[in-house]
Amino acid sequence: MPEAIEIQGLTKTFGSKIAVDHLDLTVPTGSLCGFIGPNGAGKTTTIRMIMSIIFPDSGELRVLGRTSAVESKDRIGYLPEERGVYKKMKVGAFLAYVAKLKGVDAGVARQKTMAWIDKVGLHDQLKDVHKKKCEELSKGMQQKVQFIAAVVHEPDLLILDEVFTGLDPVNRRLMRGLIDEQHKRGCTIVFSTHAMYEAEQLCQRVFMIHQGVKVLDDTLSGIRAKFDPRTIIVEPMDAEIGGSESGVATLEALRSVRGIRNVEAVEDRQGVVTEYLLTMEERCSPREVIPEIARVAGMRRVELKKVSLDDVFIDLVTRSGDTSVKREDLRMNAEEAAHV
Amino acid sequence: MSKTLLVAGREFTSTVFTKGFIIGIVLTPVMILIVAGAIAATQLLKGPTPAGTVAVIDRTGKVGPLIQQRFSKEAIDKEVQALKEKAERAVEQLAGPAAQQGQGKVAMSFGQQQLENQVRALESVRVEVLPSDTDEAAAKEPLKSYDVAQARDGSEAGKAQRMLVAVIDKGVLERNERGEYSTYGIFTAAKLDPEVKSRIESKIDKAIVDARVAGDPRASAGKLTAEDLRALLASPISDTKSVTKEGIKRSSGGLKVMLPMAFMLLLLMSVMTGGQYLLTTTIEEKSSRVMEVLLSAVSPMQLMVGKILGQMCVGLLILTLYSGMGIVSLIAFSLAHELSVMLIVYLFVFFLIAFFVIASMMAAAGSAVSELREAQTLMTPIMMIVMVPWLLWLPISRAPNSMFSVIMSFVPGINPFVMMIRLSSTEPPPTWQVIVAIAIGVATAVICAWAAAKIFRIGVLMYGKPPDWRTLIRWVRMA
Repeated sequence: MPEAIEIQGLTKTFGSKIAVDHLDLTVPTGSLCGFIGPNGAGKTTTIRMIMSIIFPDSGELRVLGRTSAVESKDRIGYLPEERGVYKKMKVGAFLAYVAKLKGVDAGVARQKTMAWIDKVGLHDQLKDVHKKKCEELSKGMQQKVQFIAAVVHEPDLLILDEVFTGLDPVNRRLMRGLIDEQHKRGCTIVFSTHAMYEAEQLCQRVFMIHQGVKVLDDTLSGIRAKFDPRTIIVEPMDAEIGGSESGVATLEALRSVRGIRNVEAVEDRQGVVTEYLLTMEERCSPREVIPEIARVAGMRRVELKKVSLDDVFIDLVTRSGDTSVKREDLRMNAEEAAHV
Repeated sequence: MSKTLLVAGREFTSTVFTKGFIIGIVLTPVMILIVAGAIAATQLLKGPTPAGTVAVIDRTGKVGPLIQQRFSKEAIDKEVQALKEKAERAVEQLAGPAAQQGQGKVAMSFGQQQLENQVRALESVRVEVLPSDTDEAAAKEPLKSYDVAQARDGSEAGKAQRMLVAVIDKGVLERNERGEYSTYGIFTAAKLDPEVKSRIESKIDKAIVDARVAGDPRASAGKLTAEDLRALLASPISDTKSVTKEGIKRSSGGLKVMLPMAFMLLLLMSVMTGGQYLLTTTIEEKSSRVMEVLLSAVSPMQLMVGKILGQMCVGLLILTLYSGMGIVSLIAFSLAHELSVMLIVYLFVFFLIAFFVIASMMAAAGSAVSELREAQTLMTPIMMIVMVPWLLWLPISRAPNSMFSVIMSFVPGINPFVMMIRLSSTEPPPTWQVIVAIAIGVATAVICAWAAAKIFRIGVLMYGKPPDWRTLIRWVRMA
């Protein structure tokens, strides 16, 4: 079976701004992937290219085994970030129209629409909701209508852009359930979000892009392993040049600490070591190791690496220096992150 | 293709089945007809009936009897007869002899009846001629007590009321040293209906002229009456016939002039209504952010073509409705022979060409902006295309085969309108020009649609600062 989405070297520029920069991405069929990244990272642009709504400047893209989503649009469900409804159209008519646009037969479309309206609880919120005009619905209810519009044709691939924004906790939970259900049906799901909690709850795999560059691509357990508390971050007291006498001495001292399996120096462009990443042996407890580290070397900061996706996110974004960073550094950081 | 049709179907139904469309496009003409009919009917029912007497203080001794004669039954009968003849001539002039046998007469006589009724109503006015030494103030006294209600109830007392006093001095018939006649005085009751007053006044005017002519020694010597003079002075009426291969036909001037205007208007109206709707629905889809939901199911091209086709049906509906109404009313006036079937066919052909050109531009403009008011700057070239036919209508319908007209029929954008004016004029253009104009029109439409597709594809997802035409042209080159 081909991968649901395969992307290689995907690049898109808008004027002088590089929105997506040589992105490689693979979404295995049947997986449930989170797509995260800060605002303006290029998530929506990537998704739009996947949907063949806009076209890349260069790079290759395969969706559901086809070179263009145009040929397989009826098998894809898409909930865009910029989503709306026809304000004057009745809810039932709108959903039936969207279903028909996605190739569902007219008779079946109405039937399915009604079943979905029941399922997401719109009927309980507002009686005869399908006869109401879309503009009469609250924002949360409109969001449910939009979700139905994305899934009513039972797609093989579901792309949800910012699906949780604007929903209250009850409806967030409902939405999580619905996404999970679609996944169990065998649907491949990619959803972009800023809500790390939801991503952690749902995802098997997480991609993160930042300034158009992929900085994270792993399963959740892989990320946990990478960013696991087995790693201790040590920032040296004085600036040391990597490979210099004092640098090597510090490196050796850190390696000699009992329970440390590996030490890696992170250098900036001038070769100055900004921090050391220490990997602990399986059996060791940080409680024993950290005081030992403090004893062997003068440290500005000693820290146990955390695991929550939130931190991974912030770490990846702030580590890149956010705004003034150069793309090469960003990609380097990404590679580092992958090797940690 | 089926998706395109789905989009077209939604575009059509969501435009047509709205209160705004039904009231604005369908009901307005119906309402106008109803209101026009109602106004005509009320006038027919209730013209002001003059009731009362007219007193004439005649100091000439000649005018008084002539006025009385003007109000006599025979005089009024004659007047009505003259009116009838005049109306028949007018129908003939406008429509040709066919109208006389047809329903045209019925329709025409509707307004005619009104006029006749009003003329007839003066029969009941009594005219008293007072001696020349009558005290003016005393004669005017009864005017103060004129009672409108009594005048309207048709009673004898009402008819006996004095409503108007005319004072006719000698100077009215005798010229002064400067060669001028003096004025005559009219005193009316305060509440007298102005229409009644003006009708009485015109009769008095005529009586005075009669008296002047009768009193002129040259006229009486030559046996000329005022009637003869009026006939002499009336402008001659031509009976125009056009000579064609099929024979001599009576040409109907009025309608021939109106036809090009009507066809241009029909074309403009149907094209612009569809085009305007296309602009607003496109902007609506953008501003309500439903655009991307649609684009997840259809390609921008499918969406644009679907929308254009949907609005084309709206335009066709309007065109059919209004031209149908026009044809029905021409049949009602027995004027249908003025239209050829080919003219209607050409109307629809040029509608399609004009519509695709305008609609493409509207779709491009609508896709590029996020709000209706931002579209204003982009609308300028479209508005120019729409304005030009207004300016060209007169010169082209006057000289449909002039060099200017021929050149204008080949100018892209406006040529459907120019061709329609020429085709419906008295001198239709040669066939080769029609074919060339259609070819140019189709080419224009294809180019516009192609450019619009490029702009649309980029524009639909652009939010923020509205682009100008230069940016749009860059988009066309870019994509």
